[in-house]
Amino acid sequence: MSKEFTDHRFHLTRRHFLGKLSLGLGSAALGSLLIPGLFSKSETTTSSLGLPHFAPKAKRIIFLHQNGAPSQLESFDYKPLLNKMAGQDLPASVRMGQRLTGMTAGQSKFPLVGSYFKFNQYGKSGAWVSELFPNIAKVADEICFIKSMHTEAINHDPALTFIQTGAQQGNRPSMGSWLSYGLGSENKNLPAFCVLLSRGRGNGQGVYSKLWNNGFLDSVHQGVQLSSSEERVLYLKDPEGRDRADRRNMLDKLAELNDLNYKEFGDPEVQARVQQYEMAYRMQTAVPELTDLTKEPDSTVKMYGSDCLVPGTYAANCLLARKLSEAGVRFIQLYHQGWDQHGNLVGEMPLQAQDTDRATAALIMDLKQRGLLDETLVIWGTEFGRTNFCQGDLSKENYGRDHHPRSFTMWMAGGGVKAGTTYGETDEFGYNILRDPVHVNDFHATVLHLMGLNHEQLTYKHLGRYYRLTDVAGKVIPGLIA
Amino acid sequence: MKRLIDISKSITLFLLSLTTFLFAFTDRIVLPVWLQVAGKLHPLILHLPIGIIVLILILVLLRSQFESEQFKKLITYSLLITTLTSAITVFFGLLLSLDGEYGFDALQRHKVSGLIIGWLSYISLIFYQSSFKQKALKYGIISVLFVLLIFVGHTGAELTHGENFVFSPLQVSEPTLNPENASVYQLAVMPILEKKCFTCHNESKTKGKLLMTVADKFKKGGESGLAFITGNPDSSRMIQYIHLPFTDDNHMPPAGKTQLTEFEISLLEAWIKSGADFTKKLGEFSLPDTFVTLANQAIKSKLQPEKVEYNFESVSAATIKNLNTPFRTIFPIYAKSPALEVNFFVSDYFKIEALKELTEINKQIVTVNLSKMPITDEDLKVFSSFENLEVLNLNFTKLTGPGIANLKSCKNLKSVSLAGTKITSESLLPLLTLPSLNSVYIWNTNITDMQKTDLEKKYPKINFLLTQFKDENMVAISRPNLINEGILQKEDKIELKHNMPGVTIRYTIDGTQPDSVTGLIYQQPIAIDESVKLKAIACKSGWYCSPLFESSVYLAGVKPEQVKLLKPTHKKYPGTGAISLIDGVKGYIEEFKSPDWLGFIDTSFEASFDFGKNATALNKVVVSYGDYMNQGIFPPTELQIWGNKQGNFKLLATQKIAAPKAYNPLNVSFITASWEKSNYSTYKVIVKPNGKLPQWHGAKGQKGWFFVDEVLFY
Repeated sequence: MSKEFTDHRFHLTRRHFLGKLSLGLGSAALGSLLIPGLFSKSETTTSSLGLPHFAPKAKRIIFLHQNGAPSQLESFDYKPLLNKMAGQDLPASVRMGQRLTGMTAGQSKFPLVGSYFKFNQYGKSGAWVSELFPNIAKVADEICFIKSMHTEAINHDPALTFIQTGAQQGNRPSMGSWLSYGLGSENKNLPAFCVLLSRGRGNGQGVYSKLWNNGFLDSVHQGVQLSSSEERVLYLKDPEGRDRADRRNMLDKLAELNDLNYKEFGDPEVQARVQQYEMAYRMQTAVPELTDLTKEPDSTVKMYGSDCLVPGTYAANCLLARKLSEAGVRFIQLYHQGWDQHGNLVGEMPLQAQDTDRATAALIMDLKQRGLLDETLVIWGTEFGRTNFCQGDLSKENYGRDHHPRSFTMWMAGGGVKAGTTYGETDEFGYNILRDPVHVNDFHATVLHLMGLNHEQLTYKHLGRYYRLTDVAGKVIPGLIA
Repeated sequence: MKRLIDISKSITLFLLSLTTFLFAFTDRIVLPVWLQVAGKLHPLILHLPIGIIVLILILVLLRSQFESEQFKKLITYSLLITTLTSAITVFFGLLLSLDGEYGFDALQRHKVSGLIIGWLSYISLIFYQSSFKQKALKYGIISVLFVLLIFVGHTGAELTHGENFVFSPLQVSEPTLNPENASVYQLAVMPILEKKCFTCHNESKTKGKLLMTVADKFKKGGESGLAFITGNPDSSRMIQYIHLPFTDDNHMPPAGKTQLTEFEISLLEAWIKSGADFTKKLGEFSLPDTFVTLANQAIKSKLQPEKVEYNFESVSAATIKNLNTPFRTIFPIYAKSPALEVNFFVSDYFKIEALKELTEINKQIVTVNLSKMPITDEDLKVFSSFENLEVLNLNFTKLTGPGIANLKSCKNLKSVSLAGTKITSESLLPLLTLPSLNSVYIWNTNITDMQKTDLEKKYPKINFLLTQFKDENMVAISRPNLINEGILQKEDKIELKHNMPGVTIRYTIDGTQPDSVTGLIYQQPIAIDESVKLKAIACKSGWYCSPLFESSVYLAGVKPEQVKLLKPTHKKYPGTGAISLIDGVKGYIEEFKSPDWLGFIDTSFEASFDFGKNATALNKVVVSYGDYMNQGIFPPTELQIWGNKQGNFKLLATQKIAAPKAYNPLNVSFITASWEKSNYSTYKVIVKPNGKLPQWHGAKGQKGWFFVDEVLFY
């Protein structure tokens, strides 16, 4: 904010200036002591915001967040030892007293349990994928699996907030906001950061708008949540009896009024609001073109699964994400709820996989056939992993798994990542990381790097210090980058 | 003047003697801190004697230009200053050498020769002051001084800047190592150390007594201990020093020197972690090993340096700004790059002039995205002057093919996207001889699989991408959608929609199942005269029919004047009280905690609806309930409707529903009852929850919930 106050001080008429600073130069000198930055270059002119620091590998991101933490042990991290040792207690030497959630801390035993679902190797890369994800398996050679993610929080809200904003507390800008701030929008007729929600059929966990908040950044960088209804962006239609010219006229007059207000108070939110009105006006043309699903070829509908025509489904969100990304939206954040399998994992996980597998793979293939996969980074991720031992009753047919922040799997495809590889490894119990850990901060640093940004230089001064998405940690993982 | 000369001479003699003495007993000296500062001034002071000795040499060569008396004076004074400054330099130099950061041999050469210069200049001063007439000797001594000076200067420079500092640019850089014979250390690690560490940690300059150029010495470490601990980068001193903040004196490489990149740090860490091996070759590591992965990357990147720099000039920021519109964005590919990327958006606003205007910056443009813009073959002529164009996106434009020949002059073109256009295989041919072209995207064009295979054979360097998606199985189409959910008013009609063109929707409202041949075909919105249970499917040739879409559609009824709950709701689900039963707002059972719903479990639902004095004749009631069996929310078992005319309630009708036999999908449904039409003033509705959940349910035997959101009268 201090910059805005400084700016505001310059918005004075000569009369005001002479009146208020009647001590002339002496006051100015004093002013320079009080506002150290007054005579130095302002931050925005020195750092080249709105452009990458170096040649980017990816221009846009689609982050498919699987909300609730799908089990890595039933999806991509194959641990046959757990099947062999099913029912036996987790050795204390593996857990080493690491903390548990309140949900399992009271359990007297921690019986190991292996995947109910079969695993196979796919593609030239020989990636292990469970039978729940037959379509993702088909595009395994486009994917870089990270088996060694780890995080700090053990419960959904802080962990989700951490992977989305780089901090657990929930007052920092979201990853999409940082990218919007750092790179600006490619297409000025759409927001740079869009959010799409869908709900699966499993045990759900909420998502909250703080996850796509702009924090201390300018509010134009906030994520824009699109509706799950037929009308993806509400109130874009001109009201009956009013045409586009009327609206233009109204906006021009309104902008004049807002400008008066801005000159008086210098509140940057006023300008942000004017910009939002203008964007909304352009969105009236840009959005209907985008959200019209009827023009997709039948083959595309079949590829995503025909649920992609039903607004609000994960498949529809994947298709829309492709369309938004194609139209230059920097960051599209999907959340798919229902992955929190504390119990009835065998019952719920197949339903969740069914809802997401086909569309996820289709998104990758669709981007590829349009020549866009090279410049679009697709991230499939979650907030943490699940335990290798059973929560609650263990039977041959069913079990549950608790939260596990010490290791989990995420993957990326497209945009400059090493396709067809697996990075990092967990031990044979699937509990601790054996090799090449990737902390959430490291992951953020790497993603920013792929987008042409140095995570240490993308900063914003707030409350007297410079903030980063990676705050004071994180390093780029070269092993993920092609 | 003579006095001044004498004092200077004495100081010089004293300093030279002291230095010589100290030189002989270097080992015994402990240097006080303030003298260390003097030592640091050595590199500054030394320029004085150098400059003056060169000056003296020039004076000697030009001696014929001076009168002999004057000349003698000039030389004497010059030599005096030389001797004094040399003595100070030599003394300071000795102090500096005590820092102990230099290799012994090179330092010794420098020290000895420096001392000799000091003494020699003193001797020559004596020479020139005396009446000694041997001219050859006089001038000879100056020449010797000069030659010595070059030697001392050079040994000194080597200490500061590293060996072979002067000629290094002329040397052939890095003799190429054969990856098959060289160790991974030599290939990937040493080049980093060479650039960032060896300049200060070599044989001649060994800061911190750490010698890194020789493997054995490197392993032994320096004066503060081991440089690295095999297998443990985090405890290794060199890695710790690298990660220290710049302000820390121990930060390596020191502030001001070229720093290590993130990649280099990771590589060094991985090297130490994997065992800090100096001799193993690529094949000899047991895989997987992060170090080998990173090393491979380093070696590869060295072999093929990535070319991202462009050698054309950048255009001014103002030009770029002027050309930017909301529908045509232009920006450098990164902050300092001259290369530009252009994107067009919103086809409704596209004009061909917007493309032609780019000719102004045609040299700088490397990427153009025209996806979905109404571009024709003719329009591609613009690109004939875009010599640096690398990526062109023409997806879903109006191209048919012939225009592609215009791209022939884009010699740097790497990738062309033509998906969704009408281009043919033949029209691609002029493009395919471009030297850099590596990707052509031809999905959803007239090009067939066979033609693609042919092209791939003829142009093996180019990747033709049609599609990865192959699925011969027929799959089901998605359900149709009900647009106007909630409660319909009298004149409203049911509207169904499906987002796929060419779909047939079949429906029933009488409770029967529609299929691909039965049921009514939806052609226009459906008029209804009562609440109905709608069932619909969508069908299209080439697809299986959709799963069944079911929804209860409610018709607005006659609104009572008052409503009262005769038994309270469960305390957790009070809704907004009785009024929410007649407020015309439907609930979603997924959100059964919302105020739209009233929940009952221990008691039956009993409410009275008062139509006042002027009640119209009615004959039907609809009670809308939620069905969410996972949560124990069940359909009720029985509905009773009581009517009151003159103070007495009379049972008008009873309706029972059989208990469900399996889980229903989440839905909102209704139970209805009708009676002989009459104008009762008050009605009492009683609904009994399912008192005992069935055997197949997880909570079998327990009580079921009943959730109600609306009660409608007709």
